Amino acid sequence: MKVLIIDDEEDFRTVASSCLGLLGGDEVREACSGKEGLAMAKEEVPDVILLDLVMEGMDGMQTLANLREIPEAAKVPVIFCTTKGMFPEFEEMKKLGALAVITKPFDPLKLSDQIKDILKVAGFSAATVTEATGN
Amino acid sequence: MRLNLQLKISHKGFILVLVPLVFELVFLIVLSVLLQQAEVEVQRQVRSKAIISQANALSKLFYDAGVAMGGYSITKSPLFSDRYDKIVRQIPLDLAELKGLVGDNDKQQLILGRLQTITSDGLKILGEAKAAIDDNRVDVAQFRARHMYKQIRQLADQLQDELKGLTEDERKIESESPEQQNRSRAAVKMFLVFGVVLNIGIAFLLLYYFLRSISTRLNTVTDNSFRLARGQKLRPPLSGNDEIAQLDDAFRSMAEALAEASRKERAVIENAADVICSIDMDGKFVAVNPASYESWGFYPDELMGRRFIEVIMPEDVPDTIRAVRSVRGATSKVNFENRVKKRDGSMVNVLWSADWSEKDRALFCVAHDITQRKLVEEAIKANEARIRNIINNMMVGLIIVTRDGLIESINPRTESMFSTRSHEMLGRHMMSLFADARHFSVNDPSDRQAFMETLFTKALNRIGEFDCLSANGEDFPVEISLTEFVSPDGAVRFMANVLDVSERKEVERMKKEFVSTVSHELRTPLTSIRGSLTLLAVGAMGSLPDQAKKVVTIAERNTIRLIGLINDILDVEKLEAGKLDMELADVGVASIFERSEQAVNTFAANNGVLLEMQPTGEMVHADGDRLVQVLVNLISNAVKFSPKGAAVTVSSAEIPGGFIEVHVTDRGRGIPESFKNRLFQRFQQVEASDAKKKGGTGLGLAICKGIVEQHGGTIGVESEEGKGSTFWFRIPKAQNLPKQQVQVLEPAALQSQSF
Repeated sequence: MKVLIIDDEEDFRTVASSCLGLLGGDEVREACSGKEGLAMAKEEVPDVILLDLVMEGMDGMQTLANLREIPEAAKVPVIFCTTKGMFPEFEEMKKLGALAVITKPFDPLKLSDQIKDILKVAGFSAATVTEATGN
Repeated sequence: MRLNLQLKISHKGFILVLVPLVFELVFLIVLSVLLQQAEVEVQRQVRSKAIISQANALSKLFYDAGVAMGGYSITKSPLFSDRYDKIVRQIPLDLAELKGLVGDNDKQQLILGRLQTITSDGLKILGEAKAAIDDNRVDVAQFRARHMYKQIRQLADQLQDELKGLTEDERKIESESPEQQNRSRAAVKMFLVFGVVLNIGIAFLLLYYFLRSISTRLNTVTDNSFRLARGQKLRPPLSGNDEIAQLDDAFRSMAEALAEASRKERAVIENAADVICSIDMDGKFVAVNPASYESWGFYPDELMGRRFIEVIMPEDVPDTIRAVRSVRGATSKVNFENRVKKRDGSMVNVLWSADWSEKDRALFCVAHDITQRKLVEEAIKANEARIRNIINNMMVGLIIVTRDGLIESINPRTESMFSTRSHEMLGRHMMSLFADARHFSVNDPSDRQAFMETLFTKALNRIGEFDCLSANGEDFPVEISLTEFVSPDGAVRFMANVLDVSERKEVERMKKEFVSTVSHELRTPLTSIRGSLTLLAVGAMGSLPDQAKKVVTIAERNTIRLIGLINDILDVEKLEAGKLDMELADVGVASIFERSEQAVNTFAANNGVLLEMQPTGEMVHADGDRLVQVLVNLISNAVKFSPKGAAVTVSSAEIPGGFIEVHVTDRGRGIPESFKNRLFQRFQQVEASDAKKKGGTGLGLAICKGIVEQHGGTIGVESEEGKGSTFWFRIPKAQNLPKQQVQVLEPAALQSQSF
């Protein structure tokens, strides 16, 4: 599973990519801002994007909105990873096509499985993610 | 005299009038008798004179008749004839007259009879002579004349004698009468003098008697009245029972009554607590009662003659003089206050009640010590001021309203709170102060009665939260509590304590936001820490030495605990704010059991506790994730407090009232009875050391309670110390409604959430 982590906090990116890469065996790329993330997603479309909500510059919501403008990456499933968990924001995320929210702090051992479960429930699979029709 | 003393004054007066009256009557009778006698004497004299005169006239007539006849016989002149006829006619008349004068004197009647015979004889002879003359029988006539003359002379002499006899007594009487009359007069004079003297004598006697019996007694009474006035002893009581004695008796009773009244009055004045005094025109004391010593420290004698204003505090003298002057002009008594300087230099507040007596030219005063009253008044004033001060400066707005909600009075804080002035607010209805008043009544937002009922329900003798509206249109949160009280006029009033809680609410909001922010901000670093530690612990970064692995595991475990604490705090915040969002749906209890078992399985196994999840088929109407959170919490607690090898049983059952009841039973140490009430409060654990030994934040049960209650359910525990506890909660059972969205999120519970 190819995962793109977009988060402006380096510590988090390192831990999350370790959890996914080392423990889950996933292929992980990291972007330190929304802008970089969009570029990387366009460059090579991932199976899933783990997107931070609160970031300097372009925040998670804007990044998602912009992502949907990129034809190649428009249908990539996006999972928000955030400490905030308020309903109104969830509603907004949902409208923009976010698949789920994983709240920080997550269980490092289960992160990879958790993402895979979400994708599976939503009808995605790591292998067929690009063909998937999404939500 | 002794007898007289028994007579009444009216009797005495009667005597006084009657005695002289009787005497005078007798006197008058005697006098009139005497006068009558004198009168008779005079009449007798007059009659005697008349008889004599008449007799003389008769005698003369008789002679004249003879002379006329003689003349006629000689001259035959009718002149003599006429004369004769005239005399003849006159004589019987004179005789009849004489007869009338003589009256019933027998002797004189007898003489008169004879006189009549003589004259008739004489006139007969003369008549014959005249007839002879007329017949010209001169010889006869002459004869007759001679004869007749003789006879006539004889008769005339007889007549003379008889008349002499007749008048003899009369002459005697006539000569004696003046003497008789003089004697009578003298007798009357004597009697008159004697009578007057006697009358005067009697009058004086009676006067003396009166002086003795009335005047002296009256003088005694009069003297007694003077004695009474002078305060001397009265004379001995008068004897008798006449009016004066009665007057004396009455006077004595009156004097006794006066003495008694005077004694009482004096006792009152002398024992009075107030200073009673009189002050003359010069402003000097002329009388003072003994109270002056108690009140002012001066003996009455010391004050007598001193000027009244000398005892008045110098500052009060001008006002006092003014007041005293006004008393003189006043028709009724005048009150004024001032301060009296006591002998020891201290002062007393005095209320003077003064009355000017024009008759005595003096001021009568009662001076009442009102120092205590002044002190009390001042204390009351001070107290009032203090209370007023408190009310004016208190941070709480006070509004006094009638039962109907009309505003009667407010304090300054209320004015500033509502940005309005007191006069604008009074009389208005309290409802106009509320921004949320329209929420009070569902049917009619302007229904004042419904408003008041809601207000009483929410705030009478408790604190209710409301939104108020200030005059400049801003609404602000307040806490109001209403208290009922009865105002002095007996009417029921309500006092509303209005506390503007804007600032507190803002602080609370900021505090919560701070807690929330901090909790969220902590999550980011904790995520990295936990991830790193887990990666280390599981050897993802290469295997660690055992010692290192042990401490990394400790670090990991405590990080997880820290994360749990933060999640709990956030839940509590949300529960308190009512922001714990739930999506209710019909959920199978079996799935709740299953998910809960999965969550605590490892933990139970690590503690050597067996989980017994009993089969269940019930459906509840609830937020599944939240119920899992509750159940996990209860099971975790049960596991923590169960001995190794013991079982924790989880079961469910439907109970009457449309609820499903879930039980979590352990065989632990149980919960003391005294602790049960506090169990579901925050940060309460049976033993202080439990938090360390058993882990946990002390928030779990509070969160469970909040969640269950938000479902409309209840939570509780039954426990027997040493035998274990059964925690239970009741959740409304499924309503068989179409399925709503089942997947509801709670990040803390599941760590992730799908839409």
